[in-house]
Amino acid sequence: MSVPVLEVKNLTKTFKNVVALDNITFEVRKHEVVGLIGENGAGKSTLLKILSGIYQPDSGEVLRNGVKTVFRGPQDSAKAGIGMVHQEQSLVTSVSVAENILLGSETDAVRAGFFNWGKLNAKAQKQLDKIQSPISPKEKVENLSFAQRQMVELAKALGVEEFSKEAPVIVLDEPSSVLEGEELEVLFTQIERLRQFASVIFVSHRLDEVLRVSDRVYVLKDGKSVAERNPDTADVDELHRLMVGRESSAEFYHEDEQLAVDGAPVVLKVDGLRKNNAFSDVSFEVRKGEVLGIAGVQGSGREELTRVIFGAEPFDGGSITLDGKKVRFSSPVGAVSAGFGYIPAERRIEGIAQGLSVQDNIFLADPSPVSVGPFLLPAKARTVASEWITRLRIRTPDRNANVANLSGGNQQKVVLAKWLNSPRLRVLILDHPTRGLDVGAKEDVYTFVRQLCSQGISIILLADTLEETIALSHSIFVMRDGQIQRRFDASPGNKPKPVDLVEQMV
Amino acid sequence: MSDTTTLAAPKPRVAVDWKGRLVSALPLIGLVLLVIVVTINQPNFLALGSVRGLLESMAPILLLALGQTFVILTGGIDLSFAATASFGTVLLALWLPNLGMLGLVAVLATMTLIGFVNGFVIAKTQIPSFIATLGALGLYSGLGLAISGASNIRISQGYEAIGWITDLRIAGLPLSAILVVLIAVVIAVAMKVLARGKSFHAIGLAEQAVLMSGGSTVRIRILAFTLCGLFSGLAAVMLAASQRSGGPTLADTLQLPAIAAVVIGGTAITGGVGGAMKTVIGALIIVVLRVGLSAIGVPPSFEQIVYGAVIIAAVVLTIDRSRLGVVK
Amino acid sequence: MTTTAPKLGEPVTTDRGAQVKKFLTTAGPLIAFIALAIFFTVASPTFSTPGNLSILLTQLSILLVIGIGLTFVILLGSIDLSVEGVMASSSLVFVLLATNDRNDFQFGFFAVIAGILTGSLFGLINGVLHVRLGIPSFMVTLGTGAIGIGVATVLFGGRAPRLLDDTLRFWGVGSTFGISNLVFIAILVLAIAFVVQRFTRVGRYGYAIGGDEAIAKLSGINIRKYKISAFVVSGTASGIAGVMAAMQLGVGDTTIGGGMLFTAITAVVLGGTLLVGGRGGVIQTLIGVGIIVVLANGLILIGVDPYIQTAVQGVVIVIAVIASGWSLRRRVRVIK
Repeated sequence: MSVPVLEVKNLTKTFKNVVALDNITFEVRKHEVVGLIGENGAGKSTLLKILSGIYQPDSGEVLRNGVKTVFRGPQDSAKAGIGMVHQEQSLVTSVSVAENILLGSETDAVRAGFFNWGKLNAKAQKQLDKIQSPISPKEKVENLSFAQRQMVELAKALGVEEFSKEAPVIVLDEPSSVLEGEELEVLFTQIERLRQFASVIFVSHRLDEVLRVSDRVYVLKDGKSVAERNPDTADVDELHRLMVGRESSAEFYHEDEQLAVDGAPVVLKVDGLRKNNAFSDVSFEVRKGEVLGIAGVQGSGREELTRVIFGAEPFDGGSITLDGKKVRFSSPVGAVSAGFGYIPAERRIEGIAQGLSVQDNIFLADPSPVSVGPFLLPAKARTVASEWITRLRIRTPDRNANVANLSGGNQQKVVLAKWLNSPRLRVLILDHPTRGLDVGAKEDVYTFVRQLCSQGISIILLADTLEETIALSHSIFVMRDGQIQRRFDASPGNKPKPVDLVEQMV
Repeated sequence: MSDTTTLAAPKPRVAVDWKGRLVSALPLIGLVLLVIVVTINQPNFLALGSVRGLLESMAPILLLALGQTFVILTGGIDLSFAATASFGTVLLALWLPNLGMLGLVAVLATMTLIGFVNGFVIAKTQIPSFIATLGALGLYSGLGLAISGASNIRISQGYEAIGWITDLRIAGLPLSAILVVLIAVVIAVAMKVLARGKSFHAIGLAEQAVLMSGGSTVRIRILAFTLCGLFSGLAAVMLAASQRSGGPTLADTLQLPAIAAVVIGGTAITGGVGGAMKTVIGALIIVVLRVGLSAIGVPPSFEQIVYGAVIIAAVVLTIDRSRLGVVK
Repeated sequence: MTTTAPKLGEPVTTDRGAQVKKFLTTAGPLIAFIALAIFFTVASPTFSTPGNLSILLTQLSILLVIGIGLTFVILLGSIDLSVEGVMASSSLVFVLLATNDRNDFQFGFFAVIAGILTGSLFGLINGVLHVRLGIPSFMVTLGTGAIGIGVATVLFGGRAPRLLDDTLRFWGVGSTFGISNLVFIAILVLAIAFVVQRFTRVGRYGYAIGGDEAIAKLSGINIRKYKISAFVVSGTASGIAGVMAAMQLGVGDTTIGGGMLFTAITAVVLGGTLLVGGRGGVIQTLIGVGIIVVLANGLILIGVDPYIQTAVQGVVIVIAVIASGWSLRRRVRVIK
């Protein structure tokens, strides 16, 4: 049995208090396509970032053709013959295909500082020929479609072959999310072609595609590799079950505090909402005091949906109705006036105002509770701020500390306080609210969600884990590739199982 | 709910930011040192007459600098503020004779409107402030030159409406300077006392967070540039009063000292840090520096070099690189 | 997404509107230039006379050289506001080292080199301060521009030194085959700049950095080196322009670059080089400069106040930048 072309042994990577990879081991063999599946937070993207040299593992080893290797940066990874096609476009659109394919590695196409275009184009052509792409190396990338750019990225990734004399390992990270129909078929043909002279790691949330293309499939969960299966014999239901299912108690989520909302009036109504290239035909209702959970992988459209509702992005069709009145916000300013709040995933940039104090942050959305007219009431502001700090158990030296110096969990609590402080709040959108928080802070967030509901605030939740979604929500819908796949009732005592959700997500 | 983790643990302590505090105090320290050095070289520097002259020359620079402070706090820049002030003096020379006090009001309103237009364009079209105000610079300096025929215009009549600014003294000190410092104090107080007083700082520090909290960054930005226009107008009034004339390039030489005053006072070019009182100190440093340089025998021709070097040094000290990301 | 799947080899233009927009952005400036030339030929009898055309070309030369330098910096997404200060210093260094009426130096051609290198030095300072200290380019170059005027003021010493070297003056005021010598210098600079832009790393990586700095960095490109290089190019160009102006006017002067920065930036933007970086080039700048010069010259010939022109230019540059950046607008976007 020959040495695997790429092997990862006992790899561990931790960020602050989140374990992204937990003693993970897997291998890729010659002329093989290996599929990686797992839900959000399973560790796929961290693993790929380590393989491409962007992160360094805390412990464990990476072996290339049996030899232990350390990647100190993307250059090292490329020199080892690992080529990555990223999920986000990584081409410079203002220059040509050839320049992109050879960016930073023109070698002998540039002599004495001068570009030899003939040679450059020829070298690029060589890579394009490997996948038999008819794209011209002289074409400017900005003139190409998404699918064509994908092919250029593939040709660029294949360029690593020039560096290492070994068969390259090509990593494809969600390559199909921007493709449709015929373009997808072309992608699969290319992958087949790649197998003849390279090995491929194929990462995608679309289970059917992964199973179609791969020789072996690894299931990742919570940073571990929990199973290895052969697609020909794999049972899709078993794969779903393997992807989810972790121990957690109902007490952790304070499920007993969840109140029924059946008779409550409808606060928010979304009808046929559409945003081109993001989601379409989205309709739902949210009642007073209800938690609506939206499940879906990255690219499902759920993040764009919440940003559209908050006015941070425009929409192209359909309507949003709040308390019976149609609303169309041109920016978050209107949404906040109308009673929306948003706890963003990008906490440091959009949630807290770094550089301002904890107190200033608490009153950022609405200073009216502590002011009269345009004037601040300093004594009242001090008192109210201190109350919030106590009530939410925010750990800070004092209310004037720079909020940037607080830990992630405490920063999140400040963001929460900001919205709780606003008397106008009707609907609060939570986007990955417990990301990066320790267990204690997470539990606090769940408690506050329950309290908000009992005060009549409606919540739209984009949770980090399926368990969170299920435990906290009254109703759930799952999105996939921009559409609502299925709705679930999640009222207390009638909760769906994580496996039910995953089936719709992948 | 378990409280053990939080109640038992002591409050977290944050190390005192010594470097930050030092940099913050530097302008004031610098000013004091400068005054000492100059007085040693020129003992009558602190005499009433000399101080009076100093404050008189400081007043228009400080006005311009205060207007620019609002803009720089938000992270932008207004390159047209001096040219706009020059334009304002031309308008004053043309409108005061016929309209008197009304002319004064009209000019201030026009200058404020100019600032508003700058802010509106920048906020709504999302183009960089330096290019938008570069364009405004061309527009208003061109208009000023065209209207005035590229020459100064003496204010023949109506001068009384603005003359009192230059003529009046309080306790021997020029009214103009006292008024301007008072205005600076009002601004500083307002920023502390108003509920939304820190808005300019906020969008300089964390614009996305402000927007995602429902704050209208568009409105705040427009306000900053509008105020800058208003203060250019006030500077125009002061200049026209002291020169008794208006001219299309009257305020142009004040552009660099005014920007220097803002930056040297400690307002960071990246925005978010700074304020009116800091700018007052910066303006004082600038005018003392001028006197100081000639006192130690540096020829006036070196002034520009000193301004340029000091600006760069001040920017380097106050810039907050952690928030910059990709610098263009 | 397109409804009909395109064949993988053909470039895709999604709809008529995008096609028209594309055409306008590439060919627009050239069409504008031709249209203006035709308009003024008709509107003014003196416009297309050989005498006036010669003046046009001369006016174009110095502006073109400045614009070429600016193009390299703007392609990065940065700006260089120090042009006038650098020109001033370069002109004075040049004149004071050549045969002049102030001192006994007679370095001839080496004075030219010295003047140009003064510009390069300023460019190097600009680049290093910007890149190593992280100061935004508008601020650094504002400061160094002031220093440049300051240095020039010191060298100026109260009265403009006059250039007495006849050979060098000939370059400035003389003509060959009826065309001003300055034009030949400008053409030479343009040719060199084009080669640098098209065939060297300074040029190509400049496009990449301006297009997407993060991606360029990940590809292993030494961002610092190439950014600094672009500023050196711009400084050198300003140096050349300062020397050219001194040769033309016969003096070294602190105001020698007066108003040229503004006009040059307008020319670069009008020619089609985007302020956000990554797109445009020196040929586009040539057309932009052509537009500005034809416009300025023609408007004067039909009697428009030159100061009104400055005012109009101010409006035009803002409109041009708005137009080119219109599609980039977003709700949650930070532009300072």
